[in-house]
Order: sequence, then C-alpha cells, then structure tokens
Amino acid sequence: MLSSITARAGHLRKVLSRATAVPIMIRFSVWLTGLLALGVAWPAPLLASRYLGLLALLALWPALAPAGRGGTAVALTAVGGWLLDTAGFDARVALWRVLALAALLYLAHTLTALAAVLPIDSIVNLDVPGVWLGRAGVVILISSVLTVLALGLTADLGGSAFQVATLVGLAGATAVTVLLARMARRE
Amino acid sequence: MPTRALGRTVLLTGLLLLLGVALGRVDLVLLAAPFAIGAAINLHRRPKAVPEVTITADEEHIVEGGEVEAGITVANPDVIGYDLVVVRTRTSPWLRLRHADRPFAITVPSDGWAAIDLPGEALRWGRQDVGPAAARAAACGGLLACRPIVTPARGVRVYPVTEPFNATEAMPAAAGLVGAHRSRRPGEGGELAGVRQFAPGDRLRRIDWRVSLRTRDLHVAYTLSDRDAEVLLLLDVLGEVGLAGGVRGSSSVLDTTVRAAAAIAEHYLHRGDRVSLLEYGASGRRLRAASGRRQYLTVLEWLLDVRADPVEESFVVPHHISSSALVVVLTPLVDPRAADMLAQLTQSGRYTVAVDTLPTDAAPPVRNQWTPAASRLWRIERENVLGRLREHGVPVVTWAGAGSLDLVLRDVARMASAPRGR
Repeated sequence: MLSSITARAGHLRKVLSRATAVPIMIRFSVWLTGLLALGVAWPAPLLASRYLGLLALLALWPALAPAGRGGTAVALTAVGGWLLDTAGFDARVALWRVLALAALLYLAHTLTALAAVLPIDSIVNLDVPGVWLGRAGVVILISSVLTVLALGLTADLGGSAFQVATLVGLAGATAVTVLLARMARRE
Repeated sequence: MPTRALGRTVLLTGLLLLLGVALGRVDLVLLAAPFAIGAAINLHRRPKAVPEVTITADEEHIVEGGEVEAGITVANPDVIGYDLVVVRTRTSPWLRLRHADRPFAITVPSDGWAAIDLPGEALRWGRQDVGPAAARAAACGGLLACRPIVTPARGVRVYPVTEPFNATEAMPAAAGLVGAHRSRRPGEGGELAGVRQFAPGDRLRRIDWRVSLRTRDLHVAYTLSDRDAEVLLLLDVLGEVGLAGGVRGSSSVLDTTVRAAAAIAEHYLHRGDRVSLLEYGASGRRLRAASGRRQYLTVLEWLLDVRADPVEESFVVPHHISSSALVVVLTPLVDPRAADMLAQLTQSGRYTVAVDTLPTDAAPPVRNQWTPAASRLWRIERENVLGRLREHGVPVVTWAGAGSLDLVLRDVARMASAPRGR
C-alpha cells in the first residue's frame, strides 16, 4: 500500500519534471474555466461556504485526467448548480450569467478535449492552441449572438417562453438525433 | 474513432435540450447551443484518410561523434486539415537527437505536410535506428482521433572512428605479384639487392656501367621485386566485455576491436595491400581479400554488423587462411579458446600478431567480498596465458592507437626472414 503510494508519487514527480509549458498552461486553463463556470452557475451563498474548496477540487479532476470523465462531471455539476440557483434560490436568469456560463462551459469542454490528446511532455507548435482557440472563439461568438437574440425574443414575447423553448428544443433534439445517426453510420 | 469529447458533447447537448423542453427553460437550451454549434462546425466535414509518416535520415558518411540530420515528415493526404498530430519516435540509445524523447504536437494542413527536424550526434559505431515513429491525429476539434500510425525504423550507418595508425615496419611476407613492399625475391622493383653478372634476358638499362668497366665484364644491378601483402584481421567476437560509453566514453571490447580493425585496415589498404576480415564466432563471417578504397568502404560496412556472437562448443580455426598472410588477431583473450586458436595459428606457421582489446578497467560486477580477490586471481592467470603465448612466439600487444603494432611487426618480420619449418 505504502510502496504503491510512493511509487505513484515518484511517477507524478517524474511526469511533472518532464512537463512543458504549453500543455501545463492548457491544463491550468481547464481548471480555471471549470472553476469559473462552477462559480458563475452555483448560488452565491453556497459559494461563500466550504463548498468552494470542494468545487475547486472537482475542477481539478479534468485538469489532471483530461481523458477521463472529469470534464463531463464538472459540466453536469455546473448545470446542476445553475438549476439549483434559478429554481431553488429563485435567482433571476440574467443575460450575462447565461452568456458567461455557456462560454465557460464550452471553453472548458474544448480545452479538456485538447488536453486529452496533447501529452503533457510534448513540444507544441504554437499554431495548435491558436487554431483550437480560434475555432472555439467563433463557436462562442455565434452562440452568444443566438443567446442575445433568443433572450431578447423571449422577453418581447413575455409569457410565451415555454412555446419558444419547446420549438427550439424540438429542433435541437432532431439535430442531435441526425448527428448521432450520421456518426453511427460512419462507424 | 470518436473521442470522449464527442460523447460529452452529445450527452450535454441532449441532456440540456431535454431538460429545457421538459422544464420549459430557454436558458438551458441556450447553454446547449455552443455544444451543438461546435459539433456542427467541427463535424460537417470529416477526414477519411490517416496521416502518412516517413522518417528521413542521413545517407552520408557519418563517423562516431559526427552530426546526424534526421527528421520526421507527416503528410496529410486528406482534404481536411488535422488540428493536431502527436508524433512520437524512439531512437537508438547511441543517437543523441534533440528532443527525440518527447512527443511533438503539430498541425498538418489539408493536402500538405509538416516536418520535424531532429538534429543530433552519433555516439557509437554501428547501425543505429531512428524510429519506429508513431503518429496520432486528432481532427474536428478533438471530437475525432485516429489510432496511432506506426512507421518502421530507419537505420543510420555510423562508421567507427579510426585513430591514425602507422606501421612503418616491413610486412613479413609479400604474396602478390605487384605492390608496395619489397619482397625477398629478386625481380623488377626499386629496392637494390645486389650486383651480378649479365645474363640473357636482363634489361640493358639495368647494366651497372661502373662495375662493368672495373671488372671488364657486363654486370647488372638487380633489385627486389615490389609485392603486395595480404593482411587478415581476425576479430574475436566470442564475447563482449566492458561498458560501451560511446565515442567519448569508455570502450568495450567490441568498440576497441572495431575501431582498431578499421584503423589497421585503413593503413594497409592505403599502402596498397590486400586486407581480408574474418570473425571468430558462431557465424564466422568473412570478407574476402581485396585492395583499394572500395575495399576500405566495404570493410567499414562489414564492421557495422559486428556483434558479440558466442558459441557453446569448441570449434577450430577456419583452415582457409593464406599461409603468407599477416594475421592480426584482435582478441580480449578472455575465452581460453582464443588463446588456443592463437597457438594453433602460430604452430601452423602463420605470421600472427595478437592485439589485446580488453579494457584496462574491465572487471566483473562486485557481488560479495570475494569478487575483488577473484578478479585479481583471474587477471594473474590471464597474464600467465599472455606470457605463455609470448613464449610460443605470439607477440601480444595492447591496442594503444597509432604505432601499436610497430614493435611486434619488427619481431614478426625478423622471424619471417629466418628459415621456415619446425
């Protein structure tokens, strides 16, 4: 037991001593964006308590093991916190919070995907993170425009948000089904 | 091959959309929007082909300690660019290539290629491998990744460094018809042997007029013919002793053997002699005798494949050794069979010189308190064997680079001029 722990510690030290700057920065960004997403989503009273330490530890999971299930866990926890805040604590759905949460969740997701395929001791050409972040920026820009339009539209419509959400949700669900079907055919 | 990121995208999009629809919350749908848009942008075109990896390596004449230019080229035959290609390579421990122990992360544009340069240094002779290299490409924003594509290794030929070697002494026996050594037979040549009476067939320009006038009879100066000689380098590869430390480190037995063989071959081939090589080992590889620069290059190529080649049962020296050849045996004299072989060669009348290739600091690993004493005993016993070999007329010399063989070659030449037979 003790020897396995020391062996693991030695392995970790060896990995860290070989690590290079760009993968470390990307993993740090994974942790930071994950933590910020959790911070934006979770209710402020809970964040002020000792839960913040637990959330920071949770955000560390995808940074340490990006190829594992940590990214999914952090995203689901953030969504759970968001639901808790808006439904349980009756917080108002503010535009900036939706924008920030959507952008941070997507950034954390795409950076985790990059960290998963990028070994920590690799020598990285700078155009790799450049291309990656450029594309993420385009995606976030498009979705932000969509968010502003949609939230403005629902505010104009007043109480008919339910129908809009149903329509958009149905369209999205159809799109996802088509996507999954295409992936399955390719396999 | 889909990655976990694709699974996460599908799960989050589906879950958020379902929750949005079920709870009537447009904000949840909007949270799902970047994932859906990202998947749509990334997956609307997907690569079909895997990357092609090629390893390039120097084809030039590389000597130990010299610089090596190796590289890896990743080509993308697809119409979609790869977002990230991670290339890993293994290299021989005797090639110190810059950053070759780390993976490289590069992007490869569509229908293009990207190159990774691996400049470095060759530390030891032999066929050193660059590779195998493996490349794993990720495309579509990390949602898809291919399985690693492995390319077989490519060999770099690193030739042994030859210390300048010089042997000014005469060859014991010249065998051929032409060459640079003076033979012991009269004939056309440059070395004056004496003056004798004119006989039919003698060339007029050979007439020594001064002697002829004095004796009032025609006399000619006769010369020793110039002959070449055959040198056989016999390489003892029964075992490897010592630690190979590369060109600037310690030398193992095989290091010394190969470098000395290259130096001796270079010297004699440069002088126009014929050099052949023979391995004293299980496979008994042989390189037939020839002369010239071409043979020198063949010798270097042949030396690259020298390996420790132990053999269990006792075996005899091959009999096809020319009786007039100078046999230079490069041996650590660790195996008793090597000493027997030397004695046999000398008894059969070959001109034999032994070069001791055992490193001075070679010692077995210390296992207990008796190991140093045992090593000392073994050293003393080996000295005994060397002494007995010298008594039998086998000169044994420790390889020390230039001029190593001069002293013993003089002895051998003197012995050769004595009448043969026992």
